[in-house]
Amino acid sequence: MKFDQPKYLPGGDHFILVQFGDDASIDLNFMALGLTAALKEDATKGVVDTNPSYNSLIVEYESDDISYADLKIELARLISGLGSVEDLELESRLAYLPAMYLDPWTRDCVADYSEKIAPRDYDPDFVAEVNGFEDAKQLARIHSGTEHWVVAVCSTPGLPLMRALDPRCAITSPKYNPPRTWTTLGAIGVGGLSSSIYTTPGPGGYNLIGRTPVPLWDPQQRLPVFKDRVVLLDAADRVKFVPIGEEEFEYIEARVADGSYEFNITAYQRFSVGAYKKWVASLNQDGRF
Amino acid sequence: MIYDEPKFLPGGDRFIEMELGDELNFDLNFLVHSLSAKIREAEIAGLIELLPNMASIVISYDPDLISFADLKSEILSHYRNMGSLEDMELLSPIYYIPVLYCDHVTRACWEDYCAKITEKEYDSDILVKLNDLDGYAQLARIHSGTEYWVAALGFYPGLASLIALDPRCRLTAPKYNPPRTWTAKGTIGYGGSVTCVYPANTPGGYQMIGHTPVPVCDIEQSLPAFKQDLALLRPGDRVRFFPVGREEYDYIESRVTAGDYVHNVAHYAKFSIRAYHEWLGTLDMKERF
Amino acid sequence: MALNIDVIKAGLETSVQDFPGRYGFWEQGFPPSGPFDMWSFRLANILVGNAPEAAGLECQFMGPTLKFSDDCVIAFTGAEMNATLDGETFPMWESVAVAAGQTLACGFASVGARAYLAVSGGIEVPQVLGARATFHMAGVGGLEGHALKDGQSIAVNGGAGVPGRKVKQDCRPKIANGKQWQIEVVQGPNDDWIAEEGIERFLESEWKLQARSNRTGYRLEGPEWIFADKASSKGPEHGEHPSNILDHGYPVGSINLCGQTPIILVNDAPSAGGFINPFTVPSAAFWKLAQSKPNDIYRFNRVSVEEAQEMRRGIDGLCVEDSIE
Repeated sequence: MKFDQPKYLPGGDHFILVQFGDDASIDLNFMALGLTAALKEDATKGVVDTNPSYNSLIVEYESDDISYADLKIELARLISGLGSVEDLELESRLAYLPAMYLDPWTRDCVADYSEKIAPRDYDPDFVAEVNGFEDAKQLARIHSGTEHWVVAVCSTPGLPLMRALDPRCAITSPKYNPPRTWTTLGAIGVGGLSSSIYTTPGPGGYNLIGRTPVPLWDPQQRLPVFKDRVVLLDAADRVKFVPIGEEEFEYIEARVADGSYEFNITAYQRFSVGAYKKWVASLNQDGRF
Repeated sequence: MIYDEPKFLPGGDRFIEMELGDELNFDLNFLVHSLSAKIREAEIAGLIELLPNMASIVISYDPDLISFADLKSEILSHYRNMGSLEDMELLSPIYYIPVLYCDHVTRACWEDYCAKITEKEYDSDILVKLNDLDGYAQLARIHSGTEYWVAALGFYPGLASLIALDPRCRLTAPKYNPPRTWTAKGTIGYGGSVTCVYPANTPGGYQMIGHTPVPVCDIEQSLPAFKQDLALLRPGDRVRFFPVGREEYDYIESRVTAGDYVHNVAHYAKFSIRAYHEWLGTLDMKERF
Repeated sequence: MALNIDVIKAGLETSVQDFPGRYGFWEQGFPPSGPFDMWSFRLANILVGNAPEAAGLECQFMGPTLKFSDDCVIAFTGAEMNATLDGETFPMWESVAVAAGQTLACGFASVGARAYLAVSGGIEVPQVLGARATFHMAGVGGLEGHALKDGQSIAVNGGAGVPGRKVKQDCRPKIANGKQWQIEVVQGPNDDWIAEEGIERFLESEWKLQARSNRTGYRLEGPEWIFADKASSKGPEHGEHPSNILDHGYPVGSINLCGQTPIILVNDAPSAGGFINPFTVPSAAFWKLAQSKPNDIYRFNRVSVEEAQEMRRGIDGLCVEDSIE
């Protein structure tokens, strides 16, 4: 539910949590990201960093420069300046990321889990069944059929938490229980309402449905796209997965390895929440990709 | 160049060709469509139809309601009040269209041409050579590696001229000489530096590099996307092609035949000229997908 | 009373058209279509008591043979196609009562090229994109999208026509068999791509109408064109040949120069393309194009925009009830 007034909650001596509501409604995230952009634009004195999430935003501040009480006033001013959620327009890059769905590597990862931890079906079959899709191929079609909204970049470096923008492509699934102890690097997972891409080979709980050969962060800043940044995506960016076959996967993998891979990202669009809502309302909900 | 003073050229007793410039230039085309939108909004009495194209607009009018001179001065005043190009933004839907590159359909068409009209090199080979590409895979990668801007409609119902927004993906191709007597509906063509999807079985002159099972024009209006209009695309829309294999191609074709194919379109992004110019500035023109 | 017309023989290319045709979809590539000779077409409708816009038939070169299911009033205008009604000579430019079961048979056009048949009540076919006019190339409008075929049946709305009405002699287009036509043209829009000598040569020369001409375009045969410097010193996006220009819209009536071949773009023409249009035939001269035949000779007579507009007003002024006696 969206709160009538955002809640301001202290986080120790130099954080403040601004909460817009208490559920996973994407509007709350639009507000959180609208405030993030407004803070950047405003260059509010004392504000050090921001960390948005589904329905809230953590603002880190320097208490020598601004008091908790003054920051609250500043934040309230910026929030009222945002207007209604329909008025929001956000800078939003669109990254086209290659994805091999139903790939052999995540298949091995699931098989390994099945053998060593707890027996389970192949994840794409399971997710397809839970969502009433025809088969795993339709799962791939639906997952690649929408742009995914980057709600936040969190948990591990560069890991995007994403939501399908086309409601007809919303996929829900229970997470692993118990979680995996390792996950293929670059694995594309779905869990709850979200999608993500594993940026480290660590543990994980999302169902694995495919894999991308491209890195989402690069501490060595080796590839050209990382010239000025370590992490590929920001909150409010969008991702569109481009299904590829094994041959193309290997080609891209080789170009990543030799440092010549050119990312495919466009940065000339603004995301209009009002237009988005109109578009969602215009969709025939029975139509399926 | 973009003319300082647009030219108003008479076309008989009820047409004016307004020329804003004389080159294939994205900014110029954007200006053409922005001005067309303004003129449409103004609902000038006596103005019948507008035909915006690459660098010009043909206007039809009823001389019993407005004279050539008065129409010219009204349009000119709208043109002068347009404001700066840099500040312009346009809500621009993007259509995702699946393509089977180097496909069986266009290959058969090329073979037929060779047998009946004149021997010629296979179309994709011509593009690969002329544009210095590694092979068919890179042709597909580059053609599908950019969003396209719908610069104009015309010549045939539903036929859209598409220009690559990423300049690194602009290819060049000669036209068929003599032209083909037939081209399969759904053929992806390339001629000059423009690409297109053939909306129907028609004669044609563009090189054929792939085929889509998805219709872009539907006289019978049988698919949901054509409920309101016969043609899918409008100037200022964007198109992105994504490569599919034969299996997915056959699947999509079967859905189109069954009449339940859902066109993939996202309609919520605003195209910003300033952001586009900035983005162009960030591209490394030596890099290729 | 509503009736049907059975198509016994379709004729060479007989199509349902309405006036002025299809507007509002040009931008999507749909041309206006509609009757080529708008003058004769409107008079046919007025003769049978219809609105000038009502759907009727355009018959090209050789007309159809049609059988009427019920009594009605019809009129035939435009080209002389030596029509007979149950074997009796059928008068042109006059409303005539037809009885149920009678057959109208047309022959080849002996004077002119296109004849127009109006039936009181008007032809009833579904509107497609706001018009009943046929656009054959895309299969839009008319009777199932195309010209008539043998064995089809055409529905007609009920109407109350009065027989014996005639178009006054001086209110009809002067369709003749001279083979020589004076066609008005307005210079532009792309006349600056042609050298001054080229403009003069175009206006002074005879142009022969080629056989490969139809409702899309009229191909002309004549002397070489002389281009201005501009046509060869242009950006590569315009194309190689001097007649190439960056894709632009085509006014209906424009004389489209494809290489050295001028093509007059008429009712079903493409809306855009990459060739220049140095001259445009104004609407007032369209009836002459419609009534000419392959191998006829055109000479072009330059008029101003205003003169062309005045001529069109003159024709509109004749497409009214006052022209009937």
